[in-house]
Amino acid sequence: MTSVLEVKNLKTYFFTEQGIIKAVDDVSFSVPKGATLGLVGESGCGKSVTAMSITRLVSAPGRIVGGEVLLNGCDLLSKSDKEMRQVRGAQIAMIFQEPMTALNPVFEVGFQIAEAVLAHEKVSKREAWSRAVEAMKAVSIPDPEKRAKDYPHRLSGGMRQRIMIAMALVCHPALVIADEPTTALDVTIQAQIIELLDKLREEYHLSLILISHDLGVVAEVAETVAVMYAGKIVEIGRAIDIFHNPKHPYTEGLLRSVPRLGSSVQKKDRLEVIEGMVPDLLRLPDGCSFAPRCYKRTVECTLSPIPLEHVSENHEVRCIHA
Amino acid sequence: MPDGAEPLLRVRNLKKYFPIRRGLLSHIAGHVKAVDDISFDINKGETFGLVGESGCGKTTAGRAILRLIEPDAGTVRFDSIDLLQLRKQELRRKRRDMQIIFQDPYASLNPRMTIRTIVGEPFAIHRLAAGLEREHRVADLLKTVGLDPVMMNRYPHEFSGGQRQRIGIARALALKPKLVVADEPVSALDVSIQAQIINLLADLQQQFGLTYLFISHAIPVIEHISTRIGVMYLGELVEVGTSAQICLAPKHPYTQALLSAVPIPDPAAKKQRIVLHGDVPTPINPPSGCRFHTRCPIAVERCKTEEPPLRQIEDGRDVSCHLV
Repeated sequence: MTSVLEVKNLKTYFFTEQGIIKAVDDVSFSVPKGATLGLVGESGCGKSVTAMSITRLVSAPGRIVGGEVLLNGCDLLSKSDKEMRQVRGAQIAMIFQEPMTALNPVFEVGFQIAEAVLAHEKVSKREAWSRAVEAMKAVSIPDPEKRAKDYPHRLSGGMRQRIMIAMALVCHPALVIADEPTTALDVTIQAQIIELLDKLREEYHLSLILISHDLGVVAEVAETVAVMYAGKIVEIGRAIDIFHNPKHPYTEGLLRSVPRLGSSVQKKDRLEVIEGMVPDLLRLPDGCSFAPRCYKRTVECTLSPIPLEHVSENHEVRCIHA
Repeated sequence: MPDGAEPLLRVRNLKKYFPIRRGLLSHIAGHVKAVDDISFDINKGETFGLVGESGCGKTTAGRAILRLIEPDAGTVRFDSIDLLQLRKQELRRKRRDMQIIFQDPYASLNPRMTIRTIVGEPFAIHRLAAGLEREHRVADLLKTVGLDPVMMNRYPHEFSGGQRQRIGIARALALKPKLVVADEPVSALDVSIQAQIINLLADLQQQFGLTYLFISHAIPVIEHISTRIGVMYLGELVEVGTSAQICLAPKHPYTQALLSAVPIPDPAAKKQRIVLHGDVPTPINPPSGCRFHTRCPIAVERCKTEEPPLRQIEDGRDVSCHLV
């Protein structure tokens, strides 16, 4: 399978007064055409900075200090800022968590979608508008001709997120990055958006990176899952392997600590927990970053950095006890 | 519960309407019916989970019960006393027995106060302990919630989200309350920290015989922690039952849809999702008849005109639907 996106040894560091924060530290993965990669982890693990680095939107004091980001074989990190502007929106599109802040409140939503077309393609305003309406239809917005003339505040959260998706798709990008696309939405609306993403994936053969802290959402959408912890990928593999046969103690702990629907069949009083908290990225321990919280910890874990190694063909784990 | 014993909290026909003011003279143009005639009981020692989507009125209900906002109608009997009849002085005294934990551990702690002052404040307000004794009590409370008492002199910004939530819990426990209203106490926390706090709340309940009103939109969390659950939609309770009744065999079509919408962290799980169409209508002019009829997959003519009452269909289980 050809990869739409290949990220190789990506490093994004933040140079702060207190020291260097390795927000993304040697991250590699690829997204095949038509596939969905789920990027999971807790706040501060570097999943959003990874997305920002792919689109080159990291701002000071952060800087991409190494690695390659290949979009259809072409290195994005060597492009000029001007060239990058042509890539964003046209070849890579982003969907953000909070659709209200991502939309401009003083313009009609149809105009904002059409603007994306006008920025990247030589088309008339009228054609751009009809493309916008078409995109709104594709994301199942009822009565798109009329809705296109609405301002963002007139729309509900779910509708706004549909607008964001329409805006992302209108130029037929090679890759869509969705950063917590359903986190701000209610469950029943979240279900609508997940259904929609699924439908669009099939129709448009979308290649998608889905960033989420919600293991349920990732399980429903992604075929491949990468789990991040303290700036590094600690486990990556097919979703089925990650969820059914997790090898890294952190992945294991995460999956065990979420309360599951249907738990009242056999009432358990306590949830299993991962002790302690996420380490300060300025003072990462030597060796494995997860070691201080890990139940499998041994002396070897703390001596030197742990490499990401294959445990089976499509399953890599950063743990010497895996 | 033995027969005849009164529940710790008995809520009857509670209503809270927020007026919408418009125009120069700010005349009242309508009402947001945030909580519209809800009734339920919470027994001593149990956890009652109130679940629903944003805007369904669950937070307003929690606050109206504590009279943090004044309800417009109904009765709230707590510990055999009608809270809504109490005068301010009496209410303040009674408040010792009812505390609240908030969702946002960043906004609910005063950034200019040390942890010592924050957790010690209830003792100051109710004039229960001062000086060294207060200090000891604060230290004990911090230990109880899993924090090191040496951190007492620090300020909220020096703590992580999970630690702050522990501080909020310590403050709520200071006066040994009987009832704790926990309003989305884990929603702002990361998964691994969420589990720690849920366990802490369960341990404290055991240790101190607490009764919880646990408000959340996260259904698996509610199911895990609650003895009984009430499901709210547009200001009304649509279904009440035990945790197992609600989550394993939901009867109301809204509860069914809500449960089926919860994403399951298992790629192999079979999904039989009921996707509700459209958005939640506004509580300003809620739909006539059954408020859920506009999105209900099984609605019939009758649902549009006739409001279904919340009625008991089996022991301990109430549903408001014509078709159940």
